[in-house]
Amino acid sequence: MARPPAHGSVVVPDWHETTEGKEYLACILRKSRRRVFGLLERPVLPPPVAIDTASYKIFVSGKSGVGKTALVAKLAGLEVPLVHHETTGIQTTVVFWPAKLQASNRVIMFRFEFWDCGESALKKFDHMLLACKENTDAFLFLFSFTDRASFEDLPGQLARIAGEAPGVVRMVIGSKFDQYMHTDVPERDLTAFRQAWQLPLLRVKSVPGRRLADGRTLDGWAGLADIAHVLNGLAEQLWHQDQVAAGLLPTSAENTPS
Amino acid sequence: MGEEGTGGSVHLLCLAASSGVPLFCRSSRGGAPSRQQLPFSVIGSLNGVHMFGQNLEVQLSSARTKDTTVVWKSFHDSITLIVLSSEEGTSELKLERLLQMVFGAMEALSGFAEAMGTGFVSLMVSGRVVSATEGWWRLGTPEAVLLPWLVGSLPPQAARDYPVYLPHGSPTVPHRLLTLTLLPGLELCLLCGPRPPLSQLGPQLLERWWQPVLDPLRACLPLGPRGLPYGFPLHKDILGLLLLHLELKRCLFTVEPLGDKGPSPEQRRRLLRHFYALVTSTHFPPEPLEKVEDDVSRAQLPRACYLVLGPGEPGTGLRLIALQLGLRLLLLLLAPQSPTHGLRSLATHTLHTLSPLL
Repeated sequence: MARPPAHGSVVVPDWHETTEGKEYLACILRKSRRRVFGLLERPVLPPPVAIDTASYKIFVSGKSGVGKTALVAKLAGLEVPLVHHETTGIQTTVVFWPAKLQASNRVIMFRFEFWDCGESALKKFDHMLLACKENTDAFLFLFSFTDRASFEDLPGQLARIAGEAPGVVRMVIGSKFDQYMHTDVPERDLTAFRQAWQLPLLRVKSVPGRRLADGRTLDGWAGLADIAHVLNGLAEQLWHQDQVAAGLLPTSAENTPS
Repeated sequence: MGEEGTGGSVHLLCLAASSGVPLFCRSSRGGAPSRQQLPFSVIGSLNGVHMFGQNLEVQLSSARTKDTTVVWKSFHDSITLIVLSSEEGTSELKLERLLQMVFGAMEALSGFAEAMGTGFVSLMVSGRVVSATEGWWRLGTPEAVLLPWLVGSLPPQAARDYPVYLPHGSPTVPHRLLTLTLLPGLELCLLCGPRPPLSQLGPQLLERWWQPVLDPLRACLPLGPRGLPYGFPLHKDILGLLLLHLELKRCLFTVEPLGDKGPSPEQRRRLLRHFYALVTSTHFPPEPLEKVEDDVSRAQLPRACYLVLGPGEPGTGLRLIALQLGLRLLLLLLAPQSPTHGLRSLATHTLHTLSPLL
């Protein structure tokens, strides 16, 4: 697998906070709330602005209870479930995210389809793991800062889940970072993991985001600010992967033995 | 039967070919949907003359009056469509094509089901089935009730692939329940075996099948809270209703038929539920009156009953009436101003109005 691109080298990192970025982001919000799109729908930009959409399938993997469903809900701007219960099958969530490319200054609408499946369903029904892995463009490996076993399970997960697809984007996310004070995974372990695996590693908080003035509705803008680094990270890795696959980027010096 | 005055009108009737039972009726005037409906007797006659011909092996395909053109068309011996048009410049050919298109739209769900290799497909809005294939309607009672509940109770997802055990149909071998959110709040549900994989039901395939019927799909969305099509005529005194079809084992239920004046939806639901429990345990038999063999006991069975909530109870003066006609049982919750002597005729009229829906 090609070495992952350096942070900020493919996608303009803080573009979503600029005036231009906010104009594009407005199409995935409605009255300051995140919009939910049906499968027959997509964000609509004002007529002179026509941008390309790049669609990707992302399989979210990780030990039971690390917060896969909660992470996906947070990325989609939905309520994070308060009580944990095992996901009984596969569920998919679509997230649209506009991002600006460094090289061409073009804006691309990324369409991420997150596949989330409960661990016991994966173990019980063979077809579910196959369905999740089939033609996936990226693997998102989750561990929890409050569950050391989930961190130690990562090498096993990486081999079991992504072992047969070495060329596919792999990213690691540490969840429940808000409980960092009680962490079971110290910084030196993260450093060692990064050095050994050369994979992008991001952190997310798992608490519900800020709410609007009514005290109930999630604030869409605040929610986007919380997760922009994850969506930009994915956009960056996936766009880079496509460029390499299309032979548009030199790969000779960057290859690591895999 | 043509329209006097300005602007032509079009009536479209869909009937079950074997029984002549109307499945739905739609009318338009000057190109806009209209509430005006043909009298039941006219619908019966139109179907009768077509069936009469068929029994004598004569195919009646069209007829003309001074200002109206009528076209009949049967599909697969199961559905008869009749269209009447008094619009200017209408031709039999144009109406026949229209019927073809209407049948095509009706087939979208079953065509999709066939292409996916399953007979069990439905469209749901907030846990209510708004349209389903024959196979889905034939599901046994526990799963027919539980599957919509399950889908209606889950947090929103673009798609799901859940293993489900069907208490009646397949208690030990799991089937797969696939759900696809076509529009927010509107889910396409498939019950199937190992195939098709969820990945096959991608946006491109869904767009090919469902983009052409996007407008009818959007029209389904208000059915979630209200349970009735937009603009459906109901008396203003009706605060809630429950219509049961005893043979099809389907029901139509709403506690938000019009505005939100009066008792809360929760209280309306509670009152209707208690009244249903009361009338089915003490007054009405659990099966259609026609199935009660003995003439004497049939004559003794009640066909209607009502009660008025007394003082001291929340919702004093609210009226509840139950009416059984043939295979249908209707329960109404009515506002206190509704005169008690008019309850039965209001219920009868409402039952007739609702009959094309269920």
